[in-house]
Parts: sequence; C-alpha cells; structure tokens
Amino acid sequence: MRLQHCLGLALTVAVSAPLAAQAEDTIKIGFPIPLSGPTAVYGEPILKGAQMAVQEINAAGGVLGKKLELLPRDSKANADEAVRLSRELIIKDNVDFLLGTLTSAEAPAVSTVAKENKIVFMTPSSKSTILTDAQHIHPYIFRLASNTDVEGLAGAEDMAKFTNVKTIVTIAPDYAYGRDSIAAFIKALKDKAPNMQVVDSQWPKLGEPDFTAFINAMMSKKPDAVYCSLFAGDFVTFVKQATPLGLFKAIDNRMIDGGEVGTPDEAQALGADYPYGIIANAYDPVIWSGGNEPPEHKKFIEDLKKFTNAKYASGWSIQGYVMVEALAQGIKKAGDTKSDDVSKAMAGMTFDTPVGQRSFSEKSHETFAPEYTGVMVKDPDYPFAIIKDPTPMPTDFHPSN
Amino acid sequence: MAASFLFSQFMGGLTTAMFLFLIASGLSLVFGIMRVINFAHGSFYMLGAYLAWQGVQWFHPTGAGFWAASLFAACAVGALGAVVERLFFRSLYGRDELYQLLFTYALVLILGDAAKYLWGTDQLSVSTPPILTGSVQIFGATEPLYNLFITVLGPLIAFGGWLVLNRSGVGRLVRAAQMDREMLDALGANVGTIYTGMFVFSSFLAGLSGALVTPIQSIVPGMDVLIIVQAFIVVVIGGMGSFWGTFWGSVIYGEVLSFGILIFPGFSLFSVFALMAVILIVRPWGLFGRPL
Repeated sequence: MRLQHCLGLALTVAVSAPLAAQAEDTIKIGFPIPLSGPTAVYGEPILKGAQMAVQEINAAGGVLGKKLELLPRDSKANADEAVRLSRELIIKDNVDFLLGTLTSAEAPAVSTVAKENKIVFMTPSSKSTILTDAQHIHPYIFRLASNTDVEGLAGAEDMAKFTNVKTIVTIAPDYAYGRDSIAAFIKALKDKAPNMQVVDSQWPKLGEPDFTAFINAMMSKKPDAVYCSLFAGDFVTFVKQATPLGLFKAIDNRMIDGGEVGTPDEAQALGADYPYGIIANAYDPVIWSGGNEPPEHKKFIEDLKKFTNAKYASGWSIQGYVMVEALAQGIKKAGDTKSDDVSKAMAGMTFDTPVGQRSFSEKSHETFAPEYTGVMVKDPDYPFAIIKDPTPMPTDFHPSN
Repeated sequence: MAASFLFSQFMGGLTTAMFLFLIASGLSLVFGIMRVINFAHGSFYMLGAYLAWQGVQWFHPTGAGFWAASLFAACAVGALGAVVERLFFRSLYGRDELYQLLFTYALVLILGDAAKYLWGTDQLSVSTPPILTGSVQIFGATEPLYNLFITVLGPLIAFGGWLVLNRSGVGRLVRAAQMDREMLDALGANVGTIYTGMFVFSSFLAGLSGALVTPIQSIVPGMDVLIIVQAFIVVVIGGMGSFWGTFWGSVIYGEVLSFGILIFPGFSLFSVFALMAVILIVRPWGLFGRPL
C-alpha cells in the first residue's frame, strides 16, 4: 500500500509539472455543475453554452492574448460535492476563476470557498436572496440570474392583471429557492394586488414523484388561480397528474409559473400535454414569437443549434454563454487575471447579451435581470407550446425595495 | 372538510400505494427468497421507463402504442435481469451482504450512466394512452381513469403473486428454496433455475412499473435513486420478504403521505419517516415480517 502511495505521488508530480509550465498562456476556469441526476437537465445545456462561448473567444484570439480553458466537473447538485470540487480545482488545478453550480443549495456553499481563496466565482442560475444579501456578499461572488425577489415581483405583477381572481394557492419545491420565491411573491402581491389572498401553500419535496395529494389539497380550497415555482421534471410530473384531476379546468388555466418552464426544454417533453394558456417565463425564450426578436438573439440561437447539433436549442445555454462572456469582458477591463482586479472591474460593469444589456450591481454583484414572460400558446410551426410575445418581467423593480 | 375531498385524498394515497407496491414487490420477493438486497432494482425501474418511451417512439408516437411499448420494456428489463443473474449474482449468493451491496451499487452507477449515454439528460414524457385519458366522478371526487387502472392492477398482481406462491407447484418449490436451499438441491430440484426465474420475474415487475409510471411522471436521470429509497421504506414497514407485508406497507405509506400533508402541510415527508422510525423501534422486522 505504501509503495503504491509513493508511486501515485511520484506520478502526480510528474504529470502536474508540465501542466504548471503550460498554465502561463491559458486562463483556467473551474466549472462545477450538475452533470448527473435530475438537475443535469439544466447543467448540461449551461455547460454547452459556456463551451460555445469559450470556443468563440478562443477563435478570436482569446483574452489578453491568452486562451480560455474550461474545466467542467460534476457537482451532482450537492453542496458538499460542489465545495470539494471547487477546493480541488483551486488547489490542484490552479484555476484562475470559478464559474458554475446550478442550485441554491450549491452556490452559497461555493461562495464561501471563493471568499476564503479570494477567487472570483460567478453563478448562472441560483436565485435565493441569501447568496448576495448584506451578510453574505463579498468582493468575489457574482450572480447572473435574477434573485427570488425579482421572480416573485414578476409573478405578482402578472397575477394583478387578472380581473377575476380573489383567492390563490401556491405550490413550490421545499428548499431554499421554493421557500424564498413564494415569500417574495406573497410580499409583492400585497403591494400589487391587495384584494387577492394566498389561501394555501403546498410544499412537495424537490423531485416529488407523486403530486396527487398536493393537488387534491390545493383544489379543496377552490382557488381562482395558482402560483407555482415547480420546474424541470417536477413541473412535467405535476402537469401530467394535475390535468386529469381537473386542476387546470377548475382555475381556467390561470396559473403562473416562475421556474423557467416557458423554454422548449419542458415544452418539448410535454408536447400536446402542455397546459396551454398558463403564464410561464424563461431566461431565454429561444423561439421568439411576435417579430420582436433581437438580431443578436437570432444569431446566438442559430450558432447554438449548430454547436449542440440539436433541432431546438435549450433555454438554459444562454446562462453559460453569457457567464463566460461577462467574465472575459471583466478580465479585459481589468487588464490582468488577478481576481482582485477582475472583481473590481466587474462590479458595476455593463455587458451585452443576446437578450439585451445587463449590469452587475455595485452593491450586491447581481444583475436583477428580467425574465421573458408570456402566455404559453400553440403554434402551427412547432409541435410544442411557445411563449406568445415574450416580454421582460418585472417592469417595476428597484433594488432598494 | 368535505367528504368528497377526503375520498379523493384517500384515492390519491391508494394510487401512490399501488405504484410503490408494483416496484417494491419485486424487491421484497428477491430479498425474501434469495436473501439479496438488490439496490439496482430502482435502476431496472428507470430502464423500464426509458425503454417504454423508446418503444412509444418506435411503435406509435401519439400514445396508442403505449401498451406494446410497456410490454416490450418489461420483457427487455426481464431479459436484462436474466443476464445479470446468470453472469454476476450467481457468484454472490451466500457471500457477505457487503459484497452484494457493493455489486448492486456498482450496477446502479453503471446503468445510470448507460441511460444518460443512450437518452441524454433531457426530461422525457409519455402521453396517457387514449383509452385511459380523462376522469370519472366518484362520490363527488374527480378520479383520473389511469389512476383507477393502477389502483385495480396493484391488488390483481398482489393476489396473483400470492396465488402462485401459495397454491401452485412452482410456488411450493420457491417456498422450499427460501426455507432450505441445500436440502431442495439435494432432493434434485434445480435451484439455480428457480433463482433465475425469480430474479427475472422481479426485474420484469420493475420494468413494468417503470413503464406504467411514464404517463403520470416525467422520465429524468436520477429517478432510479429516488424510487429505491421509497421502495425500501415500504419494504421495511411491511417486513422484508413478506409479499402481503409489502402490499400493506405500500397502502400505509401512500395514505400516511396523502393525509400527512393535511396535518403537517409544511413537512410533507415528516409523517412517513416518523412512521418508519416508530415501526423500526416497536417491530424491527416490520409489520408482517418474522424476526430474523
């Protein structure tokens, strides 16, 4: 055993020595993201988006004359695993930056590692407010997605547009994201539609295979509308069980979902079983109906389809793509790859994305990005539901409130 | 609280229960007879779901081919079970449980990656077969036809399984193999074939339940691990190796989950795990099991 250890050690040293020499002309980016388990549904397309951005940037000569190198690792959507991988990426692989993690379980944990090691860490899709609130913000953490306050406000603004709704029930996965997003929705609703009441909240676990009991409990309250934060496979399962139970008929399809189920990812899975008429959102609607598609978006989707060799692109790749682009712009602005300089350069920085400009707030290092929202409709050109006239929501967000 | 609501909650619990029974019965059977804890049972269930989806694409993408696809999936998983039993499990009987656990856990990882390689990470979905879409009103509660179908199928399989085990020649051999393998061997019965048959049947049930779950659940990577935990809870409540124990364990699990969320709305899993803890303290061998 001891001999094996020695051999292993010798081998590690032998292999890592040439790598260290090589590190000079590449910028290494550690990328922990779920690539197995139920959340790989989103981890994979985010990674693909990031890889496409790296390829484009390297083809154009890299950043500051250096090539970008992505080091993807499977975080399994598990906080402990994400932390372990991040430490390993920093210590063993000498990465310059960390991008990635998917959920609000992993991101706050990795943020602590980034703080300890003074290394810039940007995360694409974690929405829980605790990631960047006053107690947890530090110079090295950046968040690309909107937070749950923005999502809850968007939901409340849309809900307020219904003229015949008095009672609402909510359903959300029982962990940080779901709890925060429902709390934000209820808070915003008091302001936007004080005449509406949330009469019941259901909390199935993340990955719940059977929603029947929850749906029956919701329906027993005879609500006028439903606010929902279920996403991915959970949303698909929920819909398949709620439709025959008559939930959508009972609420006349007055359901708003804040969990990015307006993308082709969920729509393709459900096909004709999608509850047409509900209001859903997406980081990127992918298929942009209504003729207002920005030309940059059109090009981005075409490139992405080619890069991933898929008939329809995913609505999540944009988060990986923009993350790499934003980091590259930050490095250029800083003029070097030191995390302290890049962090200063990115705070308050405005950058272009395929869906319009975004900027990192100076105070909390997040973009408060709106999401594209609209009614899910049938379209003769596609065998699945698409967002009708995707509109950025919310319209009335100010970081101070 | 309206009676119709309580009834629909009861029926919902029953549907959950019968699905769990379909899955857990195979797990319990293999443990009861062969003393093998098969962690990969959930992986067989997952493969059943993916294969059913694949079958629907091949046979009839609009959902009419669902029954053919389900049968295909169940048989394919059964065949896989035969291969796994003949090639690998055979050399593990009678060995330390640790080896069985390690081996079946390795199977979980291998089959999980294989499914990811073959079908990718996107969530997939199968439509309800046309004949079972829609719902009926029973005592003022809306009951989806497909759920009713599962609720009837569960007891049928339970009764059929009991009949075969307790009233047939094959069943007598199987029970004999459970009691004393060596004696049965000495009497000239082919115990190897009995074991393979049981394992294939158990895999068939896992594949079938995976296929039948697709109209009401999404197919995602990781569904194997999620289900195996629930199946184990059911088997522990009912008693390892007891067929009827698994049946009643499933019913108790489904109903406790269904009514539990009315009492503790914020803690949907609390009631089920609390129940399991209590049963493990009072009767460690489960409600219908025998002390080992």
